Amino acid sequence: MSNYKKTYITVSFIVVFMFFFSYMLVPLYDIFCEITGLNGKTNQERIVNLDEKPTNRFVTIKFTSTVAGAGPFDFEPLEREMVVEVGKVYTTSYILTNQSNSLKQVTASPSVVPGAEAEYFKKIECFCFTQQEINGLETKELPLQFIIDDKLSSDTKTLILSYTMFNTTDQLGVK
Amino acid sequence: MSTNVQDIHEDHHHAPSGLMRWITTTNHKDIGSLYLWFSLLMFFIGGFMALIIRAELFEPGLQLVIPGFFNQMTTMHALIMIFGAVMPAFVGLANWQIPIMIGAPDMALPRLNNWSFWILPFAFTMLLSTLFFDSGGPAAGWTLYPPLSLQGGNSMPFVILSIHLLGISSILGAINVIATILNMRAPGMTLMKMPIFIWTWLITAFLLIAAMPVLAGAITMLLTDRFFGTSFFTASGGGDPVMFQHIFWFFGHPEVYILILPAFGIVSTIIPAFSRKKLFGYDSMVYATASIALLSFIVWAHHMFTVGMPLAGEIFFMLTTMLIAVPTGVKVFNWVATMWRGSMTFETPMLFALAFIILFTIGGFSGLMLAMTPADFQYHDTYFVVAHFHYVLVPGAVFAIIAAVYYWLPKWTGKMYSESLGKLHFWLTTVFVNVTFFPMHFVGLAGMPRRIPDYPVQFADFNAIASVGAFGFGLSQLLFVYILYNTLKKDVTAEDKVWDGAEGLEWTLSSPPPYHSFEKAPRVE
Repeated sequence: MSNYKKTYITVSFIVVFMFFFSYMLVPLYDIFCEITGLNGKTNQERIVNLDEKPTNRFVTIKFTSTVAGAGPFDFEPLEREMVVEVGKVYTTSYILTNQSNSLKQVTASPSVVPGAEAEYFKKIECFCFTQQEINGLETKELPLQFIIDDKLSSDTKTLILSYTMFNTTDQLGVK
Repeated sequence: MSTNVQDIHEDHHHAPSGLMRWITTTNHKDIGSLYLWFSLLMFFIGGFMALIIRAELFEPGLQLVIPGFFNQMTTMHALIMIFGAVMPAFVGLANWQIPIMIGAPDMALPRLNNWSFWILPFAFTMLLSTLFFDSGGPAAGWTLYPPLSLQGGNSMPFVILSIHLLGISSILGAINVIATILNMRAPGMTLMKMPIFIWTWLITAFLLIAAMPVLAGAITMLLTDRFFGTSFFTASGGGDPVMFQHIFWFFGHPEVYILILPAFGIVSTIIPAFSRKKLFGYDSMVYATASIALLSFIVWAHHMFTVGMPLAGEIFFMLTTMLIAVPTGVKVFNWVATMWRGSMTFETPMLFALAFIILFTIGGFSGLMLAMTPADFQYHDTYFVVAHFHYVLVPGAVFAIIAAVYYWLPKWTGKMYSESLGKLHFWLTTVFVNVTFFPMHFVGLAGMPRRIPDYPVQFADFNAIASVGAFGFGLSQLLFVYILYNTLKKDVTAEDKVWDGAEGLEWTLSSPPPYHSFEKAPRVE
């Protein structure tokens, strides 16, 4: 009987392990994306220890925006394009208008192209760090302060920052 | 089901009769029959859905169904055929064959065996009931990609819970298979002396216990994203929809081999029997099966070349995918070498096995084309993909199942099927399967997308041909049902060793075999 028991225990262990392994894939996926710079994820936390070091190297930043689903919003960058010096702090903003009559909660999700350079696009202040509220028919200016890290590869001449605005009103579990 | 032959052995076993016999049975043959009948029923339900799809696609424009219902049909057709038809058919064959091929009295866990079957009718009742909801059944494709699957109607939790049940059923079945094969072999039957069908099922069972829990995890994440406020895949909460595709295909690609490895085992059993030679390269067959299984865990992202992976990732997944062609090629060449200078005869099971080799290889080749990343950008989500996976699943997995039924039916029932009707069934099926799926390669290469109920007029001719083929194929399967009926109402006349070239312990038993297969374990030299 001990042989049978060994089989049952081993096999059940594999089943249980693989179920939890599927959940382990979630942090593994994030770690993998962070190491390889895939996915174009930028920092979702404020950068604190920051020192400006001008480099006299210039790159073009293009700003784009999308409204997810059929959200009742108008969402546009203030400036579509900026030429910035690597290593210096810049400020710009996005303009959000709520076209409905009611209060809405919104969350913006950022993405940078090319993805491998996303980690060098450092946000000091961003409306994407937290959930925002906007009254019916209100227009809001959402500020963004960023610095391009001087470790940015010298081949890169252009970065595209894209925001997708989600209507998260009444949505469960959104921070 | 009342026609089952086991009735004649009932007298010396005090089992309940009638319906309760089937509900309470713990006998591997009864459960095997239940699985096989159930999968036949599901094959017809899923096939009926396929015919709705093909009827709509017979000509351009929208004629019969609204697009939303069309999408429900493509989704349900896939779920039913994968989880309802092919997988239960293989489990049914495993139940019938494993004990009688390894010299055991029954499966290791008979009560669990009963459970793993009786979960299925409940799961599929729940799955099919969603078609009658106001918001309809699932329509986001069987792959359940978010965000679309999260935006579906009320069917979503029902679909997920039914897939959970199907997963539990498969896992229990797989545990039973592993426990039986590892512990109940006849004395003298070492691992490398096991019949090749047993080997392929052992490896399939390990794939099942490794892959099905991952599917369970992925769909649980979908469920909690929708109802409990998690954000695994919802981008607004910081999740990533592409991650679902990674987790899903981490399950999905091993699943593909779960659907084909037992078929390899069946073909490797039938080809030697009708070539009257030993299987060529038995050891290499075992190693090839094992390497296909291992490789299946590192190729998943070839299903998603177009999501925006980096070059290194695309090259890695392209090369590992192409590597699978090596062990698969070993198998195909071994089958051919087995037939080489054999005294071949062409009874129905052999015909289906031969068609398997040729047509499955066509599906394998289109798979290689899809494995090439640059080419895949053209083929992705077109009918070329549909043609590819139907070639490996219909003349692949389904032909192998049909071949196995013809091959072992005389053993199971003691009654010989009509050879001429079997051959007619074979030729109708083979002709129509190609009429159905071959033109899909052409429309796919020309750019016709899959899962769309309408198409531009330039695709009209090939679609009309495919639809004619599909109806021909579907109607030919009614002949299969007739052949089964016709066989079961005959008298028991089959010899114990039905095929003169067949080898294995199952042929040492009577036809039909006794209720408890090997009461005394045979010795294997």
